[in-house]
Amino acid sequence: MATSISLEQSGSPQGSPTPRAKRSAWAERRDRQGRWFVTPFLILMVLTMIVPLLYAVRESLYTTQLIGGTHFSGFQNYKTIFTDGAFWSGLIHVIIFGAIQIPFMLFLSFFFAVIFDLGAARFGSVFRGIFFIPYAVPSVVAAVIWSMLFAPSYGELVHFMGLFGLHNFSFYSSGMIWPTIFIIVIWEWTGYNMVILYTSLKSVPRELVEAAILDGATLRKVITRIKLPMVKPAIEMLVFLNMIGALQMYVEPSIIGQFQPQAISDSFTPTIFIYNTGVNGQEYGQAAAAAVILGIVIVLISLTVFALRKRRGEFS
Amino acid sequence: MARISAQGLTKVYADGTVGLRDFSLEIEEGEFVTLVGPSGCGKTTALRMIAGLEEITSGTLKIGDRVVNDVAPLERDVAMVFQNYALYPHLTVAENIGFPLEMRNVPKAERRAKVEEAARVLGLEGYLSRKPRNLSGGQRQRVAMGRAIVRRPAVFLMDEPLSNLDAKLRVQMRAEVQRIQRQLGVATLYVTHDQTEAVTMGDRVVVMRDGALQQNGTPHELYEHPVNMFVGAFIGSPAMNLYRGEIVRADGQLELHIGSQSLELPPELVARSPRLAAYAGRSLIVGIRPEQLSLPDPGNPPRSKRLAALTADAELVEDLGNELFVHFRLGVPRLSENAVAATAGASDESVEADAGVARVAPRSRVRSGDRVTFDVVVDGLYFFDEDTGAVVGGRSSSRRGSTDNQIVAEANE
Amino acid sequence: MSELTAKEVTSRRQRRRERARQQQADEGGVPLRLLGVKRRTVFFLTALCIVFTIYTLIPIVWVIVNATKTQYNILTTFGFWFAHPFSLVSNFRALFNNVDGVGVYFRWFLNTLLYAGVGGIGATVFATLAGYGFSRFRFRGSRSAFMFVIAALLVPVTAISYPLYLIYARAGLINSAWGMILPSLVTPVGVYLMRTFIDASVPQELIDAARVDGAGEIKIFRRLALPLMGPGFVTVLLLNVVAVWNNYFLPMIIFSENSRFPLTVGMGVWASHAAQSGDQNIYPLLVTGGLVTIVPLAALFWFVQRRWNGGLLVGSLAN
Repeated sequence: MATSISLEQSGSPQGSPTPRAKRSAWAERRDRQGRWFVTPFLILMVLTMIVPLLYAVRESLYTTQLIGGTHFSGFQNYKTIFTDGAFWSGLIHVIIFGAIQIPFMLFLSFFFAVIFDLGAARFGSVFRGIFFIPYAVPSVVAAVIWSMLFAPSYGELVHFMGLFGLHNFSFYSSGMIWPTIFIIVIWEWTGYNMVILYTSLKSVPRELVEAAILDGATLRKVITRIKLPMVKPAIEMLVFLNMIGALQMYVEPSIIGQFQPQAISDSFTPTIFIYNTGVNGQEYGQAAAAAVILGIVIVLISLTVFALRKRRGEFS
Repeated sequence: MARISAQGLTKVYADGTVGLRDFSLEIEEGEFVTLVGPSGCGKTTALRMIAGLEEITSGTLKIGDRVVNDVAPLERDVAMVFQNYALYPHLTVAENIGFPLEMRNVPKAERRAKVEEAARVLGLEGYLSRKPRNLSGGQRQRVAMGRAIVRRPAVFLMDEPLSNLDAKLRVQMRAEVQRIQRQLGVATLYVTHDQTEAVTMGDRVVVMRDGALQQNGTPHELYEHPVNMFVGAFIGSPAMNLYRGEIVRADGQLELHIGSQSLELPPELVARSPRLAAYAGRSLIVGIRPEQLSLPDPGNPPRSKRLAALTADAELVEDLGNELFVHFRLGVPRLSENAVAATAGASDESVEADAGVARVAPRSRVRSGDRVTFDVVVDGLYFFDEDTGAVVGGRSSSRRGSTDNQIVAEANE
Repeated sequence: MSELTAKEVTSRRQRRRERARQQQADEGGVPLRLLGVKRRTVFFLTALCIVFTIYTLIPIVWVIVNATKTQYNILTTFGFWFAHPFSLVSNFRALFNNVDGVGVYFRWFLNTLLYAGVGGIGATVFATLAGYGFSRFRFRGSRSAFMFVIAALLVPVTAISYPLYLIYARAGLINSAWGMILPSLVTPVGVYLMRTFIDASVPQELIDAARVDGAGEIKIFRRLALPLMGPGFVTVLLLNVVAVWNNYFLPMIIFSENSRFPLTVGMGVWASHAAQSGDQNIYPLLVTGGLVTIVPLAALFWFVQRRWNGGLLVGSLAN
């Protein structure tokens, strides 16, 4: 893991006087102290993340059977999952969901962030505070509340749909289940994303906007050519974080599944599949393999996004 | 290419503070006018109002012959160079310079030609594909100028564009800015807090203070004929030495008493400054420019009766080779340009901690600690009212044209 | 009382408008007039904000209102208005009892306080140390180590939760608070944020000057750097506390004993209980419990907002 030593620390060029060499050694010694600050975290990280991960990889190569116990099975588990359509359908679903939800939500978050940044709506600070409230609500609670709002028998939103002539509207039908989850997830995360983008926008110096106005930019141009590019780093970070969250979605469908078992299959999302296979079905090897596959998919998608970004030009 | 005509521009903020008071200025085509004053004097406010970035509370602003009070900045055909350059960090130099053209939907080919032309004028040809963060301060400044000139606007507005550069670069860039302005012949309003910069660059200089215009004239006029104490002490380096003095009538003559010393005021001077007689028996503020003090050559007798003597303690002698600065103390406190009773200010603002400065002949014999007697060119003294700061006599009075400025000063009292 | 002339009235209105415009300019930086934003656009945008506010507040209002209802009322009366009897207090009291053998809410609340408190603070401390180390020192391998930390973000929580459980089983940490706290101490995001923040707010010259003066690194960290990191520390602390508070998957796996559950897992258990059994009492508890889960965090945000003004700094760290 050794990287090249920075120039500052490198030994003095040959033939230079002693004082230079002394400073170099002092600088290096000082910089090495940095390790002490970093080590505690790294140790914890290895213990609580890396070791379990390796353990999971190991487990994925074993199969447990009721009769016969555990035995090494190589890539058997992986094969099983590759051929099992259920896992893939769940994976495809979250990928598609993410591909729709993330841009939509970021658009919404950016839209409001810009409005508040420009002060183009009254009572901006009040709205911002309100929009941020869902972040204080744990997913479980949010899912429970929304489930009860969507509940077929007594859910208020079902009654509400009745006002439009859609009686006994089912939010959990196979056609509506993903839009329903969409409603919940957007509710949970838009405010948080918006606050991040808002603060990021605020750091764009006022003079830049003034200069753009003097250069003849309309409002739309100011937003698209000045503000948006300058918050690109924040947006990229949010895409990354949101994507990781979306691919590992568990809580919302799981809670909905409690109230409406028929709406959520055992492999609705990859994480649900992993949980069901591993904890309920006791087929831990398979669950581990699925988890590893999920991890690899996450890495692949991240690298693709990363590569696209790098290719598009400057990378800070 | 048009002129700017500002008449009575006033800016009052929502909380009642007055940023600019009754500001009037005319700038002709091709003129380079500098706007100078201490921080908070309203110079930037005035500039921004002309740019359209600040609303005009009252007054009329015309660019060309068009009243532009309510016209959007873009429509005013002005270009502005900001103090911090305000370059778009995510765009290259070429894109930065071309941005105004892009905003007006100028076709790509034409845009590129104009950008390259601007780059040539500014010496930026090799940097077109760089980003601002990879440029030095001076280069960034030039890109900011490029963005301003590429549109060939009617007016250039510059808000302390050189303040962020180091001293040497600043002097270099001053010449650059002037060269470009002359080449393009565009009316320019240039704001700075540095009086040296204002005076060396401007065809005309406008001095401001506390939101009010103090004087508007050529550098020469401002230096020779300041309308008030503030302008007198603000323009010129080393600054004018200000002291409190008293006019005393003795034997039918007027004398100036500073501390325990008295200087005879020749009748020609009194004749030229009729208002001075009214100050007999009262105190006022006298201004002595450093070059009005000289050290008598022991070999030659004093040449003119127009010299009086002023004794002082030399505190420090700076030998610059071609001239000698003698820092002296008179025993009476030296005043700053803010020492006017009419303005509410902390008392320590009105007194200068520094000693007075005299600019004497290069090989004068004087050492730090000496007690020296200066020859004072009495003709060159300035007299200011101690309550209003307005000039009441002395050198200023003998010139035409200064009466207009005096009226301005009086109006500002 | 004098009558206002028409002129005075209009000028008063003008002044108010000017003041509103001034306030907006102070907040937003560039006055709307310059940007060409007309009054009706502002009106329209404010209306959109109201729409989104309604969307945001529907569940909030619902949970507040329904926490005051009995089970019967929850299921039958209009969801967004109150009904007789007003049962908030009795619902709240019930949270302290063991409900049908499926757990004591209050117990879960205390657990969550413990995990989020210790975990949140601890995570922030470790993240600050690591962030400082990465930011202000250039030791061999620091770049790679940092990339390594960031890469850890890609590790799916789901993959490591069960192995953690197995490891805990070996180490006897099942149902131990430490089992929850230890993994919570690791926040790659926290390290990234602190590092960015420290890069921006602790000047290298300050540290170098102290080093020349002979101060030890730990002293420098404690006396010089820490005070400068205040706002960033608070922000990251907030994020970590929220993250642990809201964590569901990990505690679900590693805790088998009901009395160890945090609020999230407990609520999940109640939810499944509510859905599957015909229990008559569970719904109000579910709703009231949900409400009580939200209140502490919301109060924390509000408090921090008040004290440290200017909203969260999260976004600025995101740059």
